[in-house]
Amino acid sequence: MFDIIHEIGQTLRNNRLRTMLTGLAVAWGIFILIMLLGAARGVVNAFQYNFRNDDSNVLQVWGGRTSKPYKGYKDGRWVGLKDGDIETIEHNNSATVSQVTAYASVDTAKIATERDYVAGGFEAVFPDAFDANNHELLYGRRLNQQDMKQARRVMVICDRDARLLFGDASKAVGGTVRSLGLAWTVVGVYTNRWRTQAMVPYTTYKSVTGNNDDVYTLRVHLQGLKTEQDGEEAEQAVRATLATAHEFAPDDPNAVWTWNRFTGYIKQTAAMGYLELAVWVIGIFTLLSGIVGVSNIMFVSVRERTHEIGIRRAIGAKPRNILVQILMESVAITGLFGYIGVFMGMIVLEVLKRGIGDNDALRNPTVDLNIAINVTIALIVAGCLAGLFPALKAIKVKPVEALRDE
Amino acid sequence: MIISLRDINKTYPGIVPLHVLKDINLEIRRGELVSIMGASGSGKSTLLNILGILDNYDSGEYHLDGVLIKDLSENRAAELRNRMIGFVFQSFNLINYKNALENVALPLFYQGVSRRKRNALAMEQLERMGLADRAHHLPGELSGGQKQRVAIARALVTNPSIILADEPTGALDSKTSKEVMETFRNLNDEGMTIVIVTHDPGVGAATNRIIRISDGQIGDGNV
Repeated sequence: MFDIIHEIGQTLRNNRLRTMLTGLAVAWGIFILIMLLGAARGVVNAFQYNFRNDDSNVLQVWGGRTSKPYKGYKDGRWVGLKDGDIETIEHNNSATVSQVTAYASVDTAKIATERDYVAGGFEAVFPDAFDANNHELLYGRRLNQQDMKQARRVMVICDRDARLLFGDASKAVGGTVRSLGLAWTVVGVYTNRWRTQAMVPYTTYKSVTGNNDDVYTLRVHLQGLKTEQDGEEAEQAVRATLATAHEFAPDDPNAVWTWNRFTGYIKQTAAMGYLELAVWVIGIFTLLSGIVGVSNIMFVSVRERTHEIGIRRAIGAKPRNILVQILMESVAITGLFGYIGVFMGMIVLEVLKRGIGDNDALRNPTVDLNIAINVTIALIVAGCLAGLFPALKAIKVKPVEALRDE
Repeated sequence: MIISLRDINKTYPGIVPLHVLKDINLEIRRGELVSIMGASGSGKSTLLNILGILDNYDSGEYHLDGVLIKDLSENRAAELRNRMIGFVFQSFNLINYKNALENVALPLFYQGVSRRKRNALAMEQLERMGLADRAHHLPGELSGGQKQRVAIARALVTNPSIILADEPTGALDSKTSKEVMETFRNLNDEGMTIVIVTHDPGVGAATNRIIRISDGQIGDGNV
């Protein structure tokens, strides 16, 4: 094996310019392939990042207005979600629903300290809201199950409000704010690019607002789903449960509004798969032009070396030896320069990553080991293909060629 | 008999088929130094190709060192060439990007001999040719006589049954030619069977037997 590599090294060095030019075509093809794959990976990464909190199995439900008359009710009736729906949905759909959470919002509430006040109101949430909204904790802690159980008057506020209310966000934790005429203890400060609403435990909100059982949004956590169809069936089942509870037509699309993140996730995942496939196809075709170049040059090489091949045959090289040598040369050119292309592509991707940074459309646009392995396989196959026809031509060279004078 | 040809015929097909070898009978004993002489077009190149297992013949029988050489596969022919025949060519036919040592070792590469061993064997042959100090020179850095001696070393490295030389002095000046012929004579003295194809009477005269071929037939009284 070492001997064959040595042989190949010698012939490639012997034809340096030709090797370089051919290699350039291959390196360029691979470079483009890596760039495309990296960019596609960046898009996929960004997509996955946006779904990073396992939010992809949630069905969100809002109240709506009926569009069909049903059971003696006329259409246009308001359907408001109620506290009781949480338990009803969990109970009736135990196979596909792991948990139902809810949140309500109190838009008008002021939150005040002696220093200042904010008027954005707050949201009454379950602990899962923190992750679902991709909040990032800066100080203190999140809301937890104990807060829910004991209906503690605690609040998590955003960093901007914390600065307003306490002067310095780091001083907010442990501080007291007033809202709805009550005192609340700040237990945590979060930051988020889009959201600024303060959060209190859902149960606390219920207890301080008396018998108000209106729910703004239900978050139905689905489980055990695999396909898009599973997702749609689970959604229909939840809708049917609500239709019974609120007496609207099960096929009324407007009575409650739903956002099925699971089916959306499945669809987007499929789209990402197509994206990657498309990139591979484009990349392979780009690589193909490189392969044709290698193949061409190997033909030239075989023609130029007819005499040499004749000599080798005369002194005992079998056709197989010649075939292997030409194929290996081709694989060596594609492999070596392919990796130069991979290397250059990775450098440019890295520069791109540093230069642009992460955003919603592109995140960590680099290629991983998996892609590197696939590219390696592609290179070896490409090299073999490129060398095959020249090699078949080379083994047709007769040893008598050695006797012909150049 | 190291070489035995019986009624060998060879015709090149074409619109006018060319009958180049006509019932050739030839025997060469082990340890002989023989020259085959003939004008161009006499069929001596074709005869050389057949002797060297580079080409097939149509009818007859060719035994080389007891092995019937007939209708061989490409692989078998390559193997027999490699083990039984040492070629020396007019234009040396060294591979120009390999140094002398690597050129000499190349036949052993195709035998699958390890690198260390074949370099040792190749070095031995270069020493025998008095070229040990040129082992790492490329052919381009050697004189014609040196190149031909490298080629002879390459022919010897597999310890073949015969040396087949095709106009080995054709590209050399008369002084160098004499030296190369001297080399062949010395090898013959050591017991090597050598067949030289040439049209140079001087070369022929330096061998022990001359086989003349003309018009595809071996001349009378020469066998």
